[in-house]
Amino acid sequence: MRKQRVPRVGSRLNNLRIGWQKRNIHRKQKVAERLPGNSLRNSPPNRRTTLRAGLAVFGGRAAGALSRRLHLGGGTSITGLVAQKVYPDIVGHLATQLEFGSVVVTGTNGKTTTSAFISAILSDAGLRVWRNREGSNLMGGIASSLVMRALPNGLLRRAGQAMTIFEVDEAVVPQVVETVSPRVAVFTNLFRDQLDRYGEVDSVAARWQQAVSNLSIDTILVLNADDPATANLGELFAGRVLYFGIDDPALDLTKQQGKSERHQVSDTRTCPRCGGDYTYDMRFFSHMGHYRCTSCGLERPQPDVRVVKAKTDDFDRLRIGISSSVLPATQPREIVIPLPGIYNVYNALAAATVAQAIEIGWEPIVTGIEQFKPIFGRGERIHIEGRTLRLLLAKNPTGFNEVLRTLFNEGTQRHVLFVLNDNIADGRDISWIWDVDFEQAVNHTSTLVVAGSRALDLALRLKYAGVAQDEMITVTTAPLRAMKSDTLLAARKKRRAKNRNVKILEEADQQPPLTEISHHYGIAEALDSAVRQTPVGETLFAVPTYTGLLEIQRELERRGLTPHYWEGRDN
Amino acid sequence: MNDSVTRQLALTLGHLYPDQLNLYGDRGNIIVLRQRCQQRGIELRVVSLGVGDALAPDEYDMLFIGGGQDREQAPVAQDLHETKGIGLWAAIEDDMPVLAVCGGYQLLAHYYRPASGPDMRGLGVFDAWTIHKGPSVARCIGDIAINWNGSTLVGFENHGGRTYLGTAQPLGKVLKGYGNNAEDATEGAIYRNAYGTYMHGSLLPKNPHFADHLIGLALRRKYGKNDWDNSHINETGEWTDGASSSESLEIKDDDPSVVLTPLDDRLEWEAHASLLEHMGLQDAAIAALSNDNGLKVS
Repeated sequence: MRKQRVPRVGSRLNNLRIGWQKRNIHRKQKVAERLPGNSLRNSPPNRRTTLRAGLAVFGGRAAGALSRRLHLGGGTSITGLVAQKVYPDIVGHLATQLEFGSVVVTGTNGKTTTSAFISAILSDAGLRVWRNREGSNLMGGIASSLVMRALPNGLLRRAGQAMTIFEVDEAVVPQVVETVSPRVAVFTNLFRDQLDRYGEVDSVAARWQQAVSNLSIDTILVLNADDPATANLGELFAGRVLYFGIDDPALDLTKQQGKSERHQVSDTRTCPRCGGDYTYDMRFFSHMGHYRCTSCGLERPQPDVRVVKAKTDDFDRLRIGISSSVLPATQPREIVIPLPGIYNVYNALAAATVAQAIEIGWEPIVTGIEQFKPIFGRGERIHIEGRTLRLLLAKNPTGFNEVLRTLFNEGTQRHVLFVLNDNIADGRDISWIWDVDFEQAVNHTSTLVVAGSRALDLALRLKYAGVAQDEMITVTTAPLRAMKSDTLLAARKKRRAKNRNVKILEEADQQPPLTEISHHYGIAEALDSAVRQTPVGETLFAVPTYTGLLEIQRELERRGLTPHYWEGRDN
Repeated sequence: MNDSVTRQLALTLGHLYPDQLNLYGDRGNIIVLRQRCQQRGIELRVVSLGVGDALAPDEYDMLFIGGGQDREQAPVAQDLHETKGIGLWAAIEDDMPVLAVCGGYQLLAHYYRPASGPDMRGLGVFDAWTIHKGPSVARCIGDIAINWNGSTLVGFENHGGRTYLGTAQPLGKVLKGYGNNAEDATEGAIYRNAYGTYMHGSLLPKNPHFADHLIGLALRRKYGKNDWDNSHINETGEWTDGASSSESLEIKDDDPSVVLTPLDDRLEWEAHASLLEHMGLQDAAIAALSNDNGLKVS
């Protein structure tokens, strides 16, 4: 865990703070004008609301402590839920006390890593930083993160008034920005994800537009210029907007030899203004790139902070050159990102842009990114029985495609464990695996284990991608009851009696066993067989969906291989 | 008849609106059709038919149309009427197998009535219509299993619109899930060899018998029913004509996939059964695993 430093309250930081507070007061007045009916929330904290907030804090923290004591869970979500029950506007009440303001981070992919990068940079700039933790990025989790550092008098502890980074689920953004009125709001990207939960990509885009149009003009909006749906939000906002983007033609997918046929999932295909189709001068992945509408000419905005050069030194050493028009003109800065994949270039770039939006200079940006410790599941390295285990979360088609590209780009043979679950947090629908380009993995896996509650579906996907069935081990969560030999034999006999005249069935008794699927089940078995297959000294890459990651995390914890709590997890 | 005649078999699949209607992994259906043809030595060419492209029915043996977002469906509906309507009708009346999933299914019925705004006109291939009852009525989301042709089909559905059948025959009866409208236990629609359904998943990977059914229909249509019934393809994809083969096989009129070389579909059926079991359909799961198709090893 990154150590949080005590702020050096220099004059610059004081300016930062005072400037923000001035704006914050202005904001409160504005909100009050907009919502005349909501007198409770917009009146200055009086005795009644303070009392109520105190009660909410007390109730929430007591519930959290009780839940922890009874081992019902980490006690994170319950804290916020109870506090919100007692005082529905507890978030708004506490958020106005944030002395340095807050940064809201949202988007389909990269929220957690971007938040962690921002946190590292701000810490290196000498600021005290708070973050809400992974898994609790809904309204309840945000409430928890504030309540846990408040006192029973309804006020934030002095230390709790730090600069706060809220990682926010893309669907609840409108409520969050309405309530906390952030100093900076960053939208990383928009891809299809969990269609059964969020609905169509367009409905998430509509929520974001609503969020942006309700945003105070004192907020600085940080947007990805290369993602049309995200960049377009800037058109709706009257305040200051900073764009970030990639300008290195070497990353253009369409010009890379032999790779043009690769399947790309494009989730934003038409211009939001006129409905025309996009054309690309450069395309990095999915719909990310230098786009232009063929009919109305709407095009990618010029980024304020941009990557002019990106080069892969090693699997997880990306050397980038950043230049910025926000800070006084200098040579492009060189930064080494200690994480794999082009998506992490975007994450680092987003964080650098946020830092520049609040007038933080290059030094903390460089050190914050270069000395970054990966968060669990996002490239984290764990030692297990002499092997290295690296976890790469992949939760939607574009995320999965980019992880696969990162793994197999150099033609290296990899040891891989895929985990596909269909729990609510993963999305119950797994149709999207057919949009993922698993063909990239063919002939590039030295060993392959497929696990999770939908392991069979993923095995089927890999089979149709061209992976031979004897090259993979499938470990399901539980045995198929219908597969029990006696049940099946009875059914087969019955069937045979019915079709006695069909000759084909006569060889039925000499059939090979029904399946080569092992008699081992569950994540522990999957992990074991993947580790066993990986020679000592080599690396096993585990690519799980969200709850698959949590299962691996619990299993590693049980074996004492990871600390009980770590950065990016509820505690 | 002369001595055994051999021919290389080839089919052409028209994929309608691959750029607009590709929301729920329906690409899996194409991958599966292509692979299952390839493994039998049948060449399957896939041709993309986007907005503005004409549909010449003679050039195709099979058509596929997927689902998309509402915003993207409107220009598609217009194109379907203005550019491809006549060709598509001709193809369907000529018994071309067509698979239409979700949005594609809705576009082949009479109309789609959104919660607000004007109706979106469909092609009227299926005597059916779709109504979106507004945001207060829950979407039909979840795993689904239906009875089809004496076996089961499994998939995942996610649709806001409710489809009601007029005279159209349903694809099957819902065993678990919502189906067309969550009211009458019907799912999908059939007209001649055109199949409309709400089932994603993708549909064909876990339902190899349905994939083979479509391939069989296309082969039979292209290479002639009578010829077809007296022949079968060998493993190299050559089509042998002659009396010797017809004795060893029982050709049923209603199941054209019988003549296809069986493939090793154990993984497919296991995934199929696993989903059935997950839905609590234990007997159907056992039936699926004892299915002869699933046990045959090529």
